Order: sequence, then structure tokens, then C-alpha cells
Amino acid sequence: MSDKIRVAAAGIVIGLSAVLLVSFGNPQNMGFCIACFIRDSVGAMKFHSAPIVQYFRPEIVGIVLGSFAISVVFGDFRPRAGSSPVLRFIIGFAVMTGALVFLGCPLRMVLRLAGGDLNAVTALLGFVAGIGVGCIFLSNGFSLGRAKEESHAEGSAFPAVMIFLFILFLAVPSLFAFSESGPGSMHAPVWIALAAGLAVGIASERTRLCMAGGVRDIFLIRDYTLLIGFAAIFVSTLIGNLVTGRFSLGLADQPVSHSMHLWNFLGMFVVGLGSVMLGGCPLRQLILAGEGNGDSVMAVLGMAAGAAVAHNFSLASSAGTGPGINGKIAVVIAIVMLLAIAAIKTARREG
Amino acid sequence: MEDFDKVVTFHTHYGALTFSRRYGKGCTLRPVPRSLSSSCGTAAYVNGDIAEEFIDDYVEGIYIKDGNGWKRIR
Repeated sequence: MSDKIRVAAAGIVIGLSAVLLVSFGNPQNMGFCIACFIRDSVGAMKFHSAPIVQYFRPEIVGIVLGSFAISVVFGDFRPRAGSSPVLRFIIGFAVMTGALVFLGCPLRMVLRLAGGDLNAVTALLGFVAGIGVGCIFLSNGFSLGRAKEESHAEGSAFPAVMIFLFILFLAVPSLFAFSESGPGSMHAPVWIALAAGLAVGIASERTRLCMAGGVRDIFLIRDYTLLIGFAAIFVSTLIGNLVTGRFSLGLADQPVSHSMHLWNFLGMFVVGLGSVMLGGCPLRQLILAGEGNGDSVMAVLGMAAGAAVAHNFSLASSAGTGPGINGKIAVVIAIVMLLAIAAIKTARREG
Repeated sequence: MEDFDKVVTFHTHYGALTFSRRYGKGCTLRPVPRSLSSSCGTAAYVNGDIAEEFIDDYVEGIYIKDGNGWKRIR
């Protein structure tokens, strides 16, 4: 089977899983959203107290453990770390800030497009623009440095924490916060969410599917393999939404979205640029974390910290009304900071 | 798609891009074969011998076609 067919199959698995999860209770156009689900999980653990976005999402656990299990089976579990971990934490923080101003990660952006939400079109343009700028830095020598091999104990620590938290969530739910209204209150049954996460984790690990990588490879090497996954998610979700009557074309009254187009563009510009600098989108960071990549764990922890700060300091957008002044300032700071890091870590060599 | 008998992997995308620029005609950049790595890096595909002058610190490994797979030679 060719790589392109594998990536297309993975995209279909993700798209259909997203449709299934919405049918079972997840918010509309949010079958999966890595940014939203990390944010909800962080809220469930009371790192922020926004009452409508607190729920420990089993999908995140499933994605990490699916990647971990399949990478062990096929020999891809190669623990490594040491590639600018603090910078990766900061970039992950910025990526989450941009995502929560738009209200979605790149995966949810595609799911929103497939649900007919035209607000995601400007976000897509911003995402592509951010990746384009990132590629300019890549082609001029940008690198966060080489990672070194690490022990299996180090590489297994994050998946082990995921297992521990999931058991805690099942055994002592009173420790966690549960939204009683809003997106956090809407969720598929635990075991269905976990199973969908596992399927997506396995499919994404085997195919290296990455929302940012697909666009990056077109800019850098004119290769369309990863973009096929992007397209397959869109088409399969679109068909699923049409079949289940959940397709609604337009700008107004779209679920968990807003129509401040400039900030949708700039929010996803941050996500695109940051994802190129990290070597993958938020979904890809979870997959790499499952493969034992400690640098991606740092990016995920940066995203988790970013989610908590975004809700504690009103950086995140509100559905319907968009970002407030704090969110707008945060996005501008994130852009400046990412460009500064990219410039500092770009070392051109003649050749 | 054209077949190549060697694939060169790199530590960074930039390493692949500069290798391709210096190598010139006959070198194609594509994603690293999935059988070699779970990373989504860029690899250079070439035919024939690779002169030492093209092999620098950015090169991670060189592989030669071996049946349906690749065998590391450097």
C-alpha cells in the first residue's frame, strides 16, 4: 500500500471518528479538537476555573496511548529529548494562545470547514500564511537543535502519567471538575471517546499525519502526501455531516466560533508558524509524545499551561463575540515572540 | 514516480535543502521513507555514488535500495 493511500485511510479514520463522537455527544464540529480537549482537561484538573470548559477528555489519553502502543509494537518507540525544551514549551504556549483565540486547533479548523463554518476559511488562510513564514525560516537554516537518545523510563513517563490520570478520573471522579453547561458538558461516553482516541493515535502514528506538515511539504518540497490526509479528513467529515444532517453553511450562529475574521486569521497564523517551528501540529505533538519524544511532551505541557493562562487571564475568545482586548494583545505578543525565536534560531550556512 | 537507488536522511529540513541545492540535477526531495523513520523529515533521493563533498554534518544516514526496503550503508 502506498504512503498516499495509508494517509488517506488515516484521514478517513479521523473524519469518521469525529462524526461518530459528535453523534455520541461531543460538541458540534468538535468531534476532535486537540487544543480544546487539552484546555477542557486542564480545566477538569482545576488549573483554570472557566465553568463551561472543564472535562477530562479521554480522547487525549487515547491518542497518546494509541501512539505509544503502536510505536512499541513496530519499533518506533525511540525515546529522545534535549532539542530546546524550554523554547518548545514557550512555542507550545503560543500555539495554544492562537488556537484559543480562533477557537480550535488545525484539526478542528478542518472539522469546522466540513461542517460548513465559513469563519474557518480566514483561519485556514492564516494557518497557511503562518506555515509559509515558518518555511522561509526553515529554508534559511531554522532548527531547534538535535535531540539525544533517552532512556525508556524517560520516554514512557508521559504515557504512564496519562494512564494514571485516566485511572484517577474513573476511580475518583470527585477530584475533577465537570462542566454542567457549555461545550465541556457535551461529551461522548468515556469508553467510546477513549476508543476513538486510540484509533486516531494508531492511524496518525503509522502515517505521520500532520495538519501543518501537509502544507509545509508543499511549500518546501512540492510533496502532497501529508496533505492527502488533510483532504481525507475534510471529505469524510463533510459526507458524515451531510448524512447525519449536521452540515450548516454560513458565517452566523456556527457552533463554538466567532466572526472576527482578522483574529481568526492571526490566531491561526500563530498556530501555523508555531507548528512549523515545533515540527508538527498539536495532534502531531501528542503522537510524538506517545513515541517517547520528550521535546514534544514539553510542547504539550506548554500548550496545557497556555490553556490555563488563556482562561485565567481572559485571552481565549468567547463563542459568538470573539477575543477581548487581552486575547488580541496576547496574539500580537505571540507573533512577535515566535518571529524573534525563529530569527535567533536561524543560522544560515552557504551552500 | 521515478525510482532511485539511494536515499539520504538529514538531521534538519535545512540540511536536505542545502544538499539538494549543492547536488543539483538528479536529486529529488521527498518525505523520509516511513520504513526508515516515524519522523516527518525530508530526505534526498539520488541515483549512483554520492561524492564525499556532499556529505556534511547535516547528513544523518545514507541508505541503498534493498529489495522493497532500504539498507543503511553509512
